[in-house]
Amino acid sequence: MAAAIAAQQLSKDFRVKVRDPGLRGAVAALFRPRYRTVRAVRAVSFEIAPGEIVAFLGPNGAGKTTTLKMLAGLLYPSAGSTRVAGFDPWTGGSEFKRRIALVLGNRQQLVWDLPALETFQLNRAIYDIPRLDFQARVEELSDLLGLADVLDKPVRQLSLGERMKCELAAALLHRPPILFLDEPTLGLDVSAQDAIRRFLSAYRDRYGATILLTSHYMQDVTALASRVLIINRGRLLYDGALEALVARIARTKRLELVLGDGVTEQRLAVFGTVKSFRAPNAVLEVPRAEAAATSARLLAALPVVDLSIEDPPIEDVIRQAFAAGGEAEE
Amino acid sequence: MSPVAVWTRRYGAMIRNAWLVDLQYRASIVLWVLWGVTEPVIALGIWWAIAGDGAVGGYARDDFARYFFGVMLVNALTIAWDSWQLDRWIREGDLNYRLARPLNPLHESLADNLAYKVRGAGTILVVWLAAASVWPAVRLPFDPTRWAWVALAVALAAAMRFFISYTTGLLAFWTTRATAIMELHAGVGMFLAGRVAPLALLPPVVASVAQLLWFPYMLAFPVELLTGASLTSDKLLRGFAGQIVWLVIWIAAYRLAWRRGLQRYGAVGG
Amino acid sequence: MSWRHPLRVVGALVRLNVAEELQYRANFIASLLGTLFWIGTALLTLGLFFRHTTTLGGWQFWEVVVLLGVFNTVSGVIEAVLRPGIGQLASEVRSGDLDLVLARPVDAQLLVSFRQIDLWRFTDVVLGLSLAGYALVRLDRTPTALQIAAFLVALAAAVLVVYAIWVALMSLAFWFVSVENLSVLFDALYEGARYPVSAYPGALRFVFVYLVPIAWTTTIPASALTGRLGPAIALGAAAVGALAFLITRALWRLALRRYTGASG
Repeated sequence: MAAAIAAQQLSKDFRVKVRDPGLRGAVAALFRPRYRTVRAVRAVSFEIAPGEIVAFLGPNGAGKTTTLKMLAGLLYPSAGSTRVAGFDPWTGGSEFKRRIALVLGNRQQLVWDLPALETFQLNRAIYDIPRLDFQARVEELSDLLGLADVLDKPVRQLSLGERMKCELAAALLHRPPILFLDEPTLGLDVSAQDAIRRFLSAYRDRYGATILLTSHYMQDVTALASRVLIINRGRLLYDGALEALVARIARTKRLELVLGDGVTEQRLAVFGTVKSFRAPNAVLEVPRAEAAATSARLLAALPVVDLSIEDPPIEDVIRQAFAAGGEAEE
Repeated sequence: MSPVAVWTRRYGAMIRNAWLVDLQYRASIVLWVLWGVTEPVIALGIWWAIAGDGAVGGYARDDFARYFFGVMLVNALTIAWDSWQLDRWIREGDLNYRLARPLNPLHESLADNLAYKVRGAGTILVVWLAAASVWPAVRLPFDPTRWAWVALAVALAAAMRFFISYTTGLLAFWTTRATAIMELHAGVGMFLAGRVAPLALLPPVVASVAQLLWFPYMLAFPVELLTGASLTSDKLLRGFAGQIVWLVIWIAAYRLAWRRGLQRYGAVGG
Repeated sequence: MSWRHPLRVVGALVRLNVAEELQYRANFIASLLGTLFWIGTALLTLGLFFRHTTTLGGWQFWEVVVLLGVFNTVSGVIEAVLRPGIGQLASEVRSGDLDLVLARPVDAQLLVSFRQIDLWRFTDVVLGLSLAGYALVRLDRTPTALQIAAFLVALAAAVLVVYAIWVALMSLAFWFVSVENLSVLFDALYEGARYPVSAYPGALRFVFVYLVPIAWTTTIPASALTGRLGPAIALGAAAVGALAFLITRALWRLALRRYTGASG
C-alpha cells in the first residue's frame, strides 16, 4: 500500500543573522550584520503507512517543527522531496489541504472571543461539510473529548486543556486522513495530556487516520505512538518501534532528590551513579528495575526531604543511544 | 454543493463571526466614532476659521461643513486596516494555520472589512443625522439618483483601499516595515485623497500629481459626489474610469505580492 | 534612600531598553525618518492653510511653526516614555497581569509609567525643539532668558497635563474592562493641539481648553516662547501642571483601589 507520508532526503536550510550578546555586540550588528546558514533539517527520509501514529521526538530546535511544516506545505524543501496523501504538499493546493489537519501547539485557530462552536461553524463552511455530517461529528468529537459544557463558553474563558481539546475538535471536523500535531500536549496538566492521548488513539482506531506528532515528552511516545522518529540537530537518528527504543536506551531511571543536612556525595554514591550534586539537590541514576527498591532504601538510610522518580530527559536518551555514533558540531 | 452555495456559506460564517467579535467590544464603538470624527472636525474647525464670511477656493463655511461630514462617512465606509493585521499574522505565526486551510486568507479579511464597515459607517451616519437635526449646514438634499452613484463610487473606493491595504500588509513577507509603508501612504493620502482639504484647494501642481495617482479615487471622488455641487456626466465618467483602472491595477499588485510572498514564506518560514 | 530607589529603577529600565533597541538596526533610521516625515506633512498642511490666509487665529505662519515644534517635543516625550508603558495597562487589567506589576516593591504608578522607554523617540524631542528654534530665527525674535525659563516651566507643565490626560484615559480601563485602543483615542484628540487654540471656533475651543485641556500643552508654551504671552503665564502653567499631577495621583489611587477591591 502506498505510504501516507513519505520523505526522501528532505532538507531545509535557513539564513540567520548573527549577533554577539551584550551592548557592544548590539552596536556591531547595527553597522555590520553577519549571516550564517542553519541546516535545520538534513537529508531526512522515512515512510509512514496509513493508520500509523508516529512521534517525532527531539529536543527544542532539533528540526521537528520545520519538518512538519514541510510536510504540511508551509515551507518548501531546500533539497529532497516529500509526498503526503498522494500530493506534493507545496503544490498540492486546496485538494491537498482538505486531506490534512495542522494543529500548532502555540498558536490557535479558535476565535478567542467567541464560543468554540462558532469556530466549528466557520470550519464547516470552509471545508463544505454537509449539515448532518457536521452535527454528527461535533457530537462525536464532543463525546470523545468531553466537551459537553465547554462548547458554548467563549474560548478565552476556557482552561488551556479545554482549549486544546476544542482546537483538536475544530481541526478534525472535516475528518482528514492525515493529522499533523506540533506539541499538542505542551503546557497541559497531566489529566489533560492523558485525555488527549487517549482521544488520538481512539480517533485513529475509529477512522484509520495517520497521525504525526512532534513532542519532547517521553510520555507522548509511551502512551501513544507505536513508532518514533528521533531527530536531533536536523538529522534523523532513529526510526523504529517504541519497544526497541525503550529496551535499547531507557534502562535507567533518575532519582531527583532534595536532601537534608549532613549528606555527602560519597554517602549517596553507594546507592547509584551520582549525576549531579549541589546541596541540597542531587540527581541519582539507577537501573530501571531497581528504582523503587533503591528509593525505599534511600529514604530509610538518609535524611531525604523530597524524592521523585523520573525518566531520563530526552537529551540523555539521545546521547545514550548514540554514544558510539555522535554527530559533528556545525 | 454548488460553488455559489459554498461561498455564500463561507462568507456568511466569516461575516457573522467578525460581527459577533465586534459586538463584544461595545465601548470600542464609542472610541471608533470619536476617532473617525475628530480628524475631520479639527480640519473643519480650521477651514471654518479661514473661510470666515467669504469663501476659499469656492468653498464657503457650509460647503466645508458638508464636505468634512462627507469625509467622515466615506472614510468609515472605505478605510481598511488589513495591513496592520496581516503584518501581525505574518510575524506572530497566525498565518500558518490559515495557509493550511483550503481558503485564501484574503476572504477572511474581506469578510472582516464588510462587518466592521457596516458597523462603523452606521454609527457615523447616526452622528451625521444627529448633527443635521440641529445644524442646517450639513443637511443634504434628498437625491436618490445621486446617492446610487455615490454607493457605486464608495464600493469601488472601498475595494481599492482594501487591496492597497492588503498588498501593503503582504510586504511583511519581506520587511518588518510594512506598517511604516502603510503610514507613509496614509500621510501622503492626507493631501492627495482630500482628507485635510478638498482637492480644489491644493496647489495646482499637487492637484495634477494627485490626478495621476489613485488617491483622489480613494476618498475625494466619492465625497465630492456626495456633497459637491453639480453632477456632470464628464465628472462621473472620469471619476469612475479612474476608480476602475486603479482597482484593476491594485488587484494585479495584490496577486503578484501574494504569489511572490508565499514563495518567500516557504523559503524562510514564519 | 526613598527617592534614590525610583531613580535607580528608571536607570535600570533605561539601560535595558537601550540594549534591546540597538539590536534592531533599522529602528533608529526608521524612527528618525518617521518623525521627519510627519513634521514635513505637518508643515505642508500648515502651508496649505496659509495659502488661503495670512493668519490663523491671529498667529503668523512661523509662530504656528513654533507651536508645531512644541507639539513634537511634547509628543516625543509621550511616545518615548508614556505610551509604551501605560498603553499596556488596559490589556493587563483585563488579563489580570496587573497583579504582577502591583506585587513589585516599587510604586506601581512609577513602574507602569516608565517601564518601557522607546528611546529613539527622544529624537522627536530634539527635532521639535530644533524646529521651534528655527522658526524663532525666521521670526527674527530672540527670546530673553526669562522667556526661555517661562517656556521651560510651561513645557514641564504641559508634560504633566498630558500625563494626567493619559492616566485619566487609561484608568478608564479599570472601569470599562473591555476598552481597547485608548491610545488611538488620545492620538485623535491630541491632533487638536497642533494649532493655536484661538484658531478654533467657539465650541471646539471650549472642548480643547476645558474638556480635554490640550490647549495648555502647546499653545501656552509656544506663546511664552514667542512672546505672545508674558512670562508670567508660566506661573499659571505651573499651577495647572501641579494640579494635573495631583489629579493623576488621586485618580490612580482610586482606580487601584477599585481594581484590587474587584479582583480580591
